[in-house]
Amino acid sequence: MAFYEENPGQIARADIVVGIPSVNEAGNIAGTVARVDKGLSEYFPDMRCAIINCDNHSSDGTREAFFSVPGKAAKLYISTEPGVGGKGRNIRNFFEKARQLDPKALMIIEADIRNVSPVWVRNLLAPVLKGAGFVCPLYERHKYETFLSNAIVYPLFRSLYGRRVRQCNTGDYGFSPKLLDFYLNPPFRSEMVDNSGIDIWMANIALASRLPIAQAIMGAPKLHRVRGRFADLPALFAEAVSTIFDLVQVYENYWLQVKWSKPTALFGTDLQEVETPLPVEVNPERLHEKFIEDFDKYFMLWEHVYGPITARKLQEIRSIGFQHFSFPTQTWMTILFDSAVAYRAMSLSEKKDLVDGLLPLYVGKVLSYIKKTWRMSLQQAEEYIENECMTFEENKPYIIKMWTKGERG
Amino acid sequence: MSKILVVDDEEHIRLLYSEELKEAGYEVITAESGYKLLEKIEEEKPDLVVLDIKMVDYNGLDILQDIRNQFYDLPVILSTAYDTFKEDMKSIAADFYVVKSFDLTELKNKIAMALEARLPD
Repeated sequence: MAFYEENPGQIARADIVVGIPSVNEAGNIAGTVARVDKGLSEYFPDMRCAIINCDNHSSDGTREAFFSVPGKAAKLYISTEPGVGGKGRNIRNFFEKARQLDPKALMIIEADIRNVSPVWVRNLLAPVLKGAGFVCPLYERHKYETFLSNAIVYPLFRSLYGRRVRQCNTGDYGFSPKLLDFYLNPPFRSEMVDNSGIDIWMANIALASRLPIAQAIMGAPKLHRVRGRFADLPALFAEAVSTIFDLVQVYENYWLQVKWSKPTALFGTDLQEVETPLPVEVNPERLHEKFIEDFDKYFMLWEHVYGPITARKLQEIRSIGFQHFSFPTQTWMTILFDSAVAYRAMSLSEKKDLVDGLLPLYVGKVLSYIKKTWRMSLQQAEEYIENECMTFEENKPYIIKMWTKGERG
Repeated sequence: MSKILVVDDEEHIRLLYSEELKEAGYEVITAESGYKLLEKIEEEKPDLVVLDIKMVDYNGLDILQDIRNQFYDLPVILSTAYDTFKEDMKSIAADFYVVKSFDLTELKNKIAMALEARLPD
């Protein structure tokens, strides 16, 4: 349970509960709360609504900024104890408090989004009230945003769990009380999940929950602080990828039965105006340098985990040089599937080494994607990713064979 | 035997698809528009729908939304003469799309994949 709780309205029940996780978001949270409140009043005027700020004991006045916003929805503030951080811990506190309020629909949205639209609130919550278990947003994204999703999360989730959910690691979701029960009694949690791995964890559990999944068209890009491009990348990468691999083991009985993939229901198709995503600058030369820099450091590990055939492929990739650099999808698929299988039998320190060693390969894959899609439109780049996903789906028998027999192809 | 519903406002396409898909071992039923299509699906319970995107009185992408909302996991393959529809996000609710052709190899492959797709109960 949360270490600290403030419930000035003594709210005991709510039909809709919105969680806003935060740490030191005094400058941002008020705008988000105001727009969420507007969305709740506009689209759900007859429902009892509550907004919960689940905080990491911020010292910058986040709590005061949260309560300063006038609005119709009840406001509650909960926090971890001082010195205890992690987005996942905030959201766990939110789950526990939300359960007490016995809601019909729940939503989580990040505190630092500068352009939350009231209609986003409708699009994430309305499908839940119509029967969806999990609603994932579809923001307008530039082709060079969210490489982790493009290279790892989407192809792996799609081929393993059989649902085509394009933006699984956004951190903003709508979900049902049934799914809340899964989150409160999870088959797996970890330190990674208590931190930024929570987003992937929530989406992954939803995909394996057998509850109906929907995607909501948001009609705009998500404008917020972008993490994970430079300094934070190793930690965020490790938390996301380790969580995926941990859950591959937990849900083996599910994904071993999945064949091909299916689309989801869509919501928000009535949005008329669609905003164009902002341009994203990338530095392909720097990515190539990073790939080459780390190559020798991790090559022995790669040879050990992925075997001589893949190791030879990686040497070929290194030898190509920047101008014609390419990381074949088949090789990338084999590496990810082999990693998931190897991870299962490893000690904690070996798992860390494996994921650390996967990062430079991911950098190489990202570089390859940038070079392949450089002249492509957003739609063409999406089709390129769809084709990559088909390679993963077509090779699903490979991971099934390795997983069940412990063989490498 | 899997039952396939072909929805297309062009009679020659309905005939072509019917004959070829019957030869391929499917039971085929047809509809010439989106009129009362949901009722027809409810009544006939097809295993898969092949849906034309541009019909005279109906937008196939809107019909796709209705099908997905009411029959969540019913496979739908969009059939189109042009691929410009992909700019519309509604199209991602389809299982697959095929460009109309007299060679139905791709359509038959996609039908087989869509019918094979399986999630645990």
